Amino acid sequence: MDMSILRAEKLQAGYEQRTVFQNLNFSVKEGKITTIIGPNGCGKSTLLKTMGRILKQKSGTVFLYDQDLRNLSTREIAKKLTLLPQNPVGPKELTVEELITYGRFPHRNQGQKSSIADQKAIEWAMNITKTISFRQRELGSLSGGERQKVWLAMALAQETAILLLDEPTTYLDMVHQLEVLKIVQQLNRQRKCTIVMVLHDINHAARFSHEIVAMKEGHVIALGSPQEMITPEVLKQVFCIDARVMLDPRDGVPVCFSYDNLQTEKETVGGEE
Amino acid sequence: MLKYSQERFVGIMLTALGLIVAAIYISLSYGVFDITFAEVVKTLFSQGNGEYDILIYQFRLPRIVIAGLVGAGLGVAGAVLQGVSRNGLADPGILGINAGAGLAIVVFMFFYQGKLAGTDWLSILAMPFFGLIGGLATSVLVYLLSWKNGRLDSQRFLLTGIALGSGFAALSLYITLKMDPTDFHTATVWSVGSLFHADWQYSISILPWFLFLLPIIFWKAHILDLFQLEESSVKSLGVSVGREQVILLLCSTGLVSACVSVSGSIGFVGLIVPHLAKSLTGIRHQQIIPLCAMLGMLLVIVADFIAKNIFAPAEVATGTIVSLIGVPYFIYLLFRSKA
Repeated sequence: MDMSILRAEKLQAGYEQRTVFQNLNFSVKEGKITTIIGPNGCGKSTLLKTMGRILKQKSGTVFLYDQDLRNLSTREIAKKLTLLPQNPVGPKELTVEELITYGRFPHRNQGQKSSIADQKAIEWAMNITKTISFRQRELGSLSGGERQKVWLAMALAQETAILLLDEPTTYLDMVHQLEVLKIVQQLNRQRKCTIVMVLHDINHAARFSHEIVAMKEGHVIALGSPQEMITPEVLKQVFCIDARVMLDPRDGVPVCFSYDNLQTEKETVGGEE
Repeated sequence: MLKYSQERFVGIMLTALGLIVAAIYISLSYGVFDITFAEVVKTLFSQGNGEYDILIYQFRLPRIVIAGLVGAGLGVAGAVLQGVSRNGLADPGILGINAGAGLAIVVFMFFYQGKLAGTDWLSILAMPFFGLIGGLATSVLVYLLSWKNGRLDSQRFLLTGIALGSGFAALSLYITLKMDPTDFHTATVWSVGSLFHADWQYSISILPWFLFLLPIIFWKAHILDLFQLEESSVKSLGVSVGREQVILLLCSTGLVSACVSVSGSIGFVGLIVPHLAKSLTGIRHQQIIPLCAMLGMLLVIVADFIAKNIFAPAEVATGTIVSLIGVPYFIYLLFRSKA
């Protein structure tokens, strides 16, 4: 059995009366990049939030290094795991460096001045995300791409072994999407960070993850390597689409180059395209 | 940039301090009897001939001290409440804490009918204590009722506060109507916010609350900075959001209740002072909190000076003057935020 660093067992979660998923079992592999894919409303974000103790589960257990999350203090958890929410917002007058410094909160005693370790972590986070050049600017003056890197830097300053990223590339242009995912990859390679993220772009999922988990209507319906997962059969099952997939001749990574609705499958073959 | 704002902050604090000193001097020397600068200084340093001792030490100074304390307390409490609820409209008055503390004090007055005129220590120390219980009970109630989906809903927080506040105010009014005429008069003057009864005993009775609660709030100021982020970010940083909210809420309620117990319900300080402080110094609570204390002090000392003297020898309630200053500023804020 693989060593599991973060594991959900018989997890049930949701909002008020609505249960998004129940009896869900899911185990994250240490040192790997895992990407959760699935249609809107399938429970990807809810799963991420519940595993990151942002949302309280209705029943079941989340284990962090085989310890029940509920038995750990939120500060203890914050030293091991962090979650970057979708579209985080902060006060626009806050400077980049101040926001990144917030990431040191779990490592600091209240009222304590920043230590050398804090300074090093902040510098490192700013370097790896290339935010150091605009460290003095205010959040309100940044572009979407810059802002996302700053938030990522704050999460990195927490120096956790596990990073949960909820749609880290949403609203970014192609170049910034790539930049953010490259940072994630670099973290995984250099620091052996375990990363779980939600992505909508199948090709990004294929290129940047070791393992892909497909969710639909609150269930994990398939999981495996990109080669196993990015196939017409799986994509049909998950998204109800007719996907055309080939392998990138340069590196063998599967690429979904076009897709269509299942219902109109027959009509459009050789049609508009 | 940080350095610049640090220097700017020191500058603003010194300016505020200068204005407070000026306001204290004016309040000490002008009034029904004017005292010259030299006499004020001499009296304060016990070099005078004793002519003004009673006027300064028994009437003017204690009142200034109370005004300063109440202003500081309400200003700081307002900043904390706005931070905890993430809502710029939160204010002790709007959240019903004033009304709750007020109700408890009115109930206390009602049962101590007629004994109020006495200066016995028990009743003077008991007033802030009753106010505290009322204020705490109200804020706990508001807090519990605003709980939705396992988190504090800031919309509900305000609405519940307004509803409970109106209810308690009505109840207070009902009780005051049942009082005998002297107590009724005291209660009415008290309910619009007056420092008419200020004396040293009152300031000493609320001082412990300040000495105990202000350091906690200042120590927790950096948590208020984090509360400016959205809740999932704050939780992810390892802040026990619920626990910190309760601590901060209790601290600010304690301050407000103590203030209300000596000055009655002075509104608007907790609302406008934090806004003013933020527009002057930015968004860092380690700067906002002390500045709120200074600006609150200044506002209430000045307002009380006006209240005492504008129609002298008749007095206007201090709370009325604060509102007269506060409302236009608030309307200005609303217009500016629209533009």
